[in-house]
Amino acid sequence: MNYRIQNLTYQYTPDGSEVLKDISLEIRQSAVTAVVGPSGCGKTTLVNILSGVIPKLESNGVLQGELELGENPLVSVVSQSPENQLFGYGVEDAIAFGMENMGLPAQEISERLEYVLDLLNLQYLRKRSVAALSGGQRQAVCIASVLAMRPNILIMDEPVSSLDPNGKKMVQGVLNQLRADGTTVLIVDNNLEWSAGIVDRVVGLSDGRVLFDGEKEEFFRNFDLQEKLGVTIPQEAEIYRAMAKIRPEIPMFYSMQGALQQLDALFAQKELPAHAAQELPEEAFLTAHQLNKIFADGFHALKDINTSFPKGQVVAIMGQNGSGKTTLVKHLNGLHKPTSGDVRYNGQSTLKKTVAQISKNIILVFQHPEHMLFEQTVTQEITFCARMQGLPFTEEQVAEVLEKYGLSADAETFPINLSMGKKHLLTILSVLFSSADVVILDEPTLGMDLHIKKQLEEIIAFLKEQGKTVIMISHEIPLVFKVADSAVILSGGKKIYEGGKEALARRDDIFDSINISLPPVVRLSRRYGFGKVCYNVEEFAEQAAAMLKREDA
Amino acid sequence: MDYLQYVDKDSLLHRLDPRTKFFFFLAMAVLTSLTKSAAALVFLFLFFLGIWLSCGIMSEMGKLLGQLKALLIFIFLLWFVLGLFEHPPVEGGPIFYEGNVLGMNLCFDWYDFYKGLVYSLRIYLMIASFFMVLITTNFSEIILGLCKWHMPYSISFAIGLVFQIIPIIITELRAIMEAQSSRGLEIEECGTATKIKNYIIFSIPLLFRVIGKGHAISLAMHFYKLNFSVKRTSYKTIKASKYDAWFLLATAVAIAGTVALRFLFYIPV
Repeated sequence: MNYRIQNLTYQYTPDGSEVLKDISLEIRQSAVTAVVGPSGCGKTTLVNILSGVIPKLESNGVLQGELELGENPLVSVVSQSPENQLFGYGVEDAIAFGMENMGLPAQEISERLEYVLDLLNLQYLRKRSVAALSGGQRQAVCIASVLAMRPNILIMDEPVSSLDPNGKKMVQGVLNQLRADGTTVLIVDNNLEWSAGIVDRVVGLSDGRVLFDGEKEEFFRNFDLQEKLGVTIPQEAEIYRAMAKIRPEIPMFYSMQGALQQLDALFAQKELPAHAAQELPEEAFLTAHQLNKIFADGFHALKDINTSFPKGQVVAIMGQNGSGKTTLVKHLNGLHKPTSGDVRYNGQSTLKKTVAQISKNIILVFQHPEHMLFEQTVTQEITFCARMQGLPFTEEQVAEVLEKYGLSADAETFPINLSMGKKHLLTILSVLFSSADVVILDEPTLGMDLHIKKQLEEIIAFLKEQGKTVIMISHEIPLVFKVADSAVILSGGKKIYEGGKEALARRDDIFDSINISLPPVVRLSRRYGFGKVCYNVEEFAEQAAAMLKREDA
Repeated sequence: MDYLQYVDKDSLLHRLDPRTKFFFFLAMAVLTSLTKSAAALVFLFLFFLGIWLSCGIMSEMGKLLGQLKALLIFIFLLWFVLGLFEHPPVEGGPIFYEGNVLGMNLCFDWYDFYKGLVYSLRIYLMIASFFMVLITTNFSEIILGLCKWHMPYSISFAIGLVFQIIPIIITELRAIMEAQSSRGLEIEECGTATKIKNYIIFSIPLLFRVIGKGHAISLAMHFYKLNFSVKRTSYKTIKASKYDAWFLLATAVAIAGTVALRFLFYIPV
């Protein structure tokens, strides 16, 4: 039996506007359905209705329509922050919690526990404490804990948004298992990059209405709709989109396997032209020397790091979680003091300066914007750095920035009430009014939809134009290759690479060692020996068109 | 505030039934409340020291002492100063100064130090006994132990949740302080008044983060069908072992010794 939602309308208050407007859709049993749409489209409201939060916990609204979910349906949700969801000190405690609440006998709890641990390949974690798990492991345990309750529908709300590539791979593996096991899964996430190979169907919401309800292949063919919904799609699907403009007859693909199958028929595999050594500017004004950090618990987080950051460059810092990326940048802005070694700005050691003093030159924007926002309006928030540093600014300048980045309507809004993506954008915009000439962005794309990500790219380009150095930690490898000039790669606290991205794009060994994949445009442009390695889809399409033209001629 | 968190180790205290540890804390709380003899308290301190050494938690107890330093010095000084206004209740012992200062009769003697020591040691031992339970019992065990003592699950769960949330709030506060100082807010080289003002600044995002966490936790409780009016089951059970018997025996001997010393070497304070 499939689950149906019929003519669902919801208002949070009787006199408020409709957040969901007469929506009808079908959730196919034993299939994985993705619900996509921009911030504020009604995704979270839909999840709350399906899971019973509305009207059980939030009962002030007006709910109309019908939910055909069967008798006493059990709908469980895995949130994007498993640390808020897991109850219990150990993994076994956390998985058993829901079953204990259901009043199941100990024997049955034990059997179900073994089942989910085997199903999701988590036996090796069973004796660990939840606090000691990585992000991906926590998310997997969270999935196991709700799965053990045998829900009719399992909803996953942006399950990989804060995970590193290894964590994403782990959740992908778990979802593939669930799919094979016939579990009905609803993924609520505007990023289909990681789940394209897993989902069967897509439901697109916009402004409280269903704009699309169909098979994923159909969705990937509808370019206008993807744009309108601001959905992040796999780069392979973007390549297909670009290639379809050149060769409309090309069959659709959205995975690397599919891309190889279709593009191999168009292009012969060739050697890439020899790489001319990329000359990076010499003016390294921020440097780390023999940096070592051993924390109080004995963890050796940084091991003899020597690195330099040139002026006016975008430098990406990459590596898996725990590799030392955040620890390194916290040394650069003075939040951490090294066990040994030195950080120098313009040749002067920063070790004796306070973080606030260093922030006049080197500013760090944190991963979670809620840690940074505390002013009463967006306008006040955006000028916070300037006021702290005693820098002049005019109302016109503030209005111009707000206008440019689509925040004018929110100028007097309480920042906490903005969407996650806009909150993050706001904290990044506030550095435009600071005196710092090194801007460090830690996972800047967290919570951003496609439109805001494009604005972020503009901000990074603007900072670079102004001669500022941007240091960016990101797990979004396609974005990194698109905007960065060079990279520093860490693994286990050691630096394993430092240099230009042209050379890095040819270092499969580095990416293999950190278990991260090179972006599809890089891999494919290398495979077909294009005139140069491509770092974005536009370049790829240009090179592909040129090559096809040559071959046709 | 890391010192308030569970320390994952494999020691005798960690292996004990949580009920044994609760009993230990209650017994020590009563004992230290009633005992005002330095000899008895020093004996009890040595007993505690033996436990800390054998369980490998000396560094954690050292951290606790560091955190309580200001409080213990305050208590010591308070009783020391009060002692200046009275004579020792027993004969003997050195008197360093006796006389009239600004119309007040003062007597500076050994008993002032004795009184300060007794009161600060009592407070330290009382807090240390609670702390020993806290750092060796995770919140799942706390809930199980309290339920075994027939405390309603809703209360046991709430107590366990507090211990689960404390580390989260500490982490959040740290992150907020780091984020604000990274944006130019001076929190290192500033006076007390500025520090207080900064804490008010930090409290706003912290409040919103805590409210957000609270909301997320209440949603999670709903997703996991937590309903305090429905009888729930328990996957794990706790059972006392020979370790508990030995520990209780040692505790009983320590209590007896303390009581005996209290009567043998009692000086009214």
